[in-house]
Amino acid sequence: MAAYVINIAQNCLRCIKHEFHFKLNAWTISALVLGLLLFLPMAEVLWHLTMPAESWKHLRDTVLGQYIKGSLILVFGTAILSVILGVSSAWLVACCEFPGRKIFEWALILPLAIPTYIAAYAYFDLLDKLNPLLIWIRLNVSTEAMTLMSDTIVYPVTIIVLTSVLYPYVYLVTRAAFTRQSNQCIEAARTLGHGPHSTFWRIALPLARPAIVGGVSLVIMETLNDYGAVKHFNIPTFTTGIFRTWLAIGDLPGALRLAACLMLLILFLLILEKWLRSGAKFHKNSQSDRPFKRYKLDKIKSFFAIICCLLPLIIGFVLPLSRLVYWASQTIENVFDATFLTLTSNSIAIAATASLITVLLAIFLTFTSRYFGSLIINATNRLAILGYAVPGAVIAIGILILAKQVNISTGWVMTGSLSMLVLAYVVRFLAVAWQPIDSGMERNCEQINNASRSLGSTAIQSLTQINIPLLRNGLVAAGLFVFVDIMKELPLTLILRPFNFETLSTKTFDLAQQAQIPESSIPALCIILVSLLPLIWLNRQIRHNEK
Amino acid sequence: MLPHLRSGMKSFLKLSLGLNFLLCVYTSAAEINVYSHRHYDSDAILFKQFTKKTDIQVNVVKGSADQLIQRLITEGKNSPADVLLTVDAGRLHRAKAAGVLQPIKSKILLGNVPNSMRDPEGHWYGMTVRSRVIVYSKDRVKPSELSTYEDLAKAEWKGRVVARSSSNIYNQSLLASIIAAHGKDKALAWAKAVRKNMVRAPRGSDRDQARAVAAGLADVAIMNTYYLGILANSSVAADRDVAGKVGVFFPNQEDRGAHINVSGGGVTASAKNKKEAIQFLEFLTSAKSQETFGKVNYEYPVKINKNQSELLKSWGKFKADDVNLSILGANNSEAVKLFDLAGWE
Repeated sequence: MAAYVINIAQNCLRCIKHEFHFKLNAWTISALVLGLLLFLPMAEVLWHLTMPAESWKHLRDTVLGQYIKGSLILVFGTAILSVILGVSSAWLVACCEFPGRKIFEWALILPLAIPTYIAAYAYFDLLDKLNPLLIWIRLNVSTEAMTLMSDTIVYPVTIIVLTSVLYPYVYLVTRAAFTRQSNQCIEAARTLGHGPHSTFWRIALPLARPAIVGGVSLVIMETLNDYGAVKHFNIPTFTTGIFRTWLAIGDLPGALRLAACLMLLILFLLILEKWLRSGAKFHKNSQSDRPFKRYKLDKIKSFFAIICCLLPLIIGFVLPLSRLVYWASQTIENVFDATFLTLTSNSIAIAATASLITVLLAIFLTFTSRYFGSLIINATNRLAILGYAVPGAVIAIGILILAKQVNISTGWVMTGSLSMLVLAYVVRFLAVAWQPIDSGMERNCEQINNASRSLGSTAIQSLTQINIPLLRNGLVAAGLFVFVDIMKELPLTLILRPFNFETLSTKTFDLAQQAQIPESSIPALCIILVSLLPLIWLNRQIRHNEK
Repeated sequence: MLPHLRSGMKSFLKLSLGLNFLLCVYTSAAEINVYSHRHYDSDAILFKQFTKKTDIQVNVVKGSADQLIQRLITEGKNSPADVLLTVDAGRLHRAKAAGVLQPIKSKILLGNVPNSMRDPEGHWYGMTVRSRVIVYSKDRVKPSELSTYEDLAKAEWKGRVVARSSSNIYNQSLLASIIAAHGKDKALAWAKAVRKNMVRAPRGSDRDQARAVAAGLADVAIMNTYYLGILANSSVAADRDVAGKVGVFFPNQEDRGAHINVSGGGVTASAKNKKEAIQFLEFLTSAKSQETFGKVNYEYPVKINKNQSELLKSWGKFKADDVNLSILGANNSEAVKLFDLAGWE
């Protein structure tokens, strides 16, 4: 036993020595510094945990349980519903043949263009539509039954609204997984006499598990991050709790403790994800030259398939969009003017700048970690991408605290500048660019990098001549994903934007805050339209890669 | 790819540089920088009038007051802001307590703003007044059944009340005024009982409460007066219907009076353009501006009796609770905690 422990300790020591002796160079040092810098705002939040929080006892005794309950109900509800919608539509689109399949293939991702808060605004009166039912219950059953009904109904409604715009995360990755499998595994299953049913349950679904888990973890993070929608439906969750404790009770340390609880919850989910994905590292196999023959559905089955694909599309896109268009046509004279051009160009310019910087940083960080095989850089990278798991508002608080310290020590006011906002976006969305670039490098570049190194190429040559050209489309895709995310982002922008600087999302929120939801439809539509084009391009790119 | 990236980067850089440049141009003339929580059209109109009259450019950052105050604290003496405008005395008090406002003396302001509507030391001045009242269904409730806020806690209102979330500062200030009138324990009991009488878990805006009453879901709602003005003048027909179906009742007329609150502003401790900032507040509290607030945003002027808006006149005169508004600020976080204890979400 003792020998075993000593053995492990020696191994660890050897690793650390190895890191320091052979992997310290300009690349790794700057990657180390950059990674730690990007982690700094979150470190600020964690550091403040050591401060006494006066209202913590009060929070723990009264509302903490509600926050946990509210968050968990939403997380589980949205995750389960997203899996049902995302996986079933992905299976139909990837492996079955029915009329309209090609349209659904791209149409099903359209809800991604709609931020959760705009979906909530589009359905703002959904609960009010249930009033007659509630009044009926009061007259025919009892007042208590009605109160119970109106108190609980808000959860399923919020879950449906959130899922309707978040399920495409599951759909996208699962569809890719099914398409990748189809050539080999599903055909093999078919030749072994498995019907579509048992192929789905016994082959396709288990093989797609890591992809599904990855998609669901995105859905969960978006759910935990949401502020606009849960605030609109007044569901007690961690994000609303953080704002309430910070701003209403005026206890920043208490709010940061809640934020830390949330980060712990997310960390737990991430570990769970890793565990669920474990042992499931799939390498892309050589492509088959024969196109996959999809299951042909008969008329009745086709009808159900169409319904199955139409439902999420209608709830997540057609209905909200048509409502927004209707409101826009009603209010356009009052709201629309030349400032919308400025708003749109503000949003696009800042989103484009920030996404470009994010992608450049992501390439640099992933490349350095993979090329030099450095464990330390890998670790700091993972710290740097944690920002995606932290609500925008918490990052904004972290940056504000950071800015305060800089201000005190140097007199330099960082808040209210565009560069500050860009930095915040990079911290928040680095993971979105990092994930696809990292997995792309793992899949496509690792072996070639090793080969080129053994042939005497330098790191910079490998990066510019091998990695970037090989990952070209992946890089553009990563940039566009970040771009769309920034277009939709709200709480961060709200807190950190400079003077006279409005974006489409802050304008939407402003108008909705004044309960002018019909008026808010015009900036909301602009966000959706600007996000749609990159999304459609992205989808084509992904399809191209899958084939 | 690389040349592609390079040219793309250049154009992005140009764009963002252009933006920075635009911002600089804005800030070159005589100007004041305003952090404002108020999202109303009336303010945009008045800011324009002010610039026209004085040639002072008004730069605005809109945001939630709490975040703006946090930002002022963070920026400290280097903050570019000259003026903080916000709704609710609770927040003005918070800003004063955080040390981000400075006391100012102006004869014009003292003349424009009555005693009870301003900070005794001159850190902030009220700009408009709103009353938090009981709105009732004209079909199902007779005004004679209504009397006080305290009355809403009685069993006869079970399953008939709606109100918005306790995260909303208007509710916090209302409970703060009840703490001031009756003490903590009674205030907690009140919040508990009213929450029990609610027909649904609190959600939505003040306007949604009026909608719930008009739809027949509830009989009475707690809400601010000016929202009814906005509903009555809405471009949406359904909203005008809502305003027609409900009546305004000013509670506690026999004792302390209906709960009121102000929106107001102060000059920041870091103000670089103090003179202009004071001029700005004087302008906003002038008789003419006060009329605009009433007509465009249906808020009462700080001199409530001098109200010129026909709609506000139609609701009748009322007695206002004259508790010193800074007490509401002092009781604010206590009120939030009581709401937590009462289970009022």
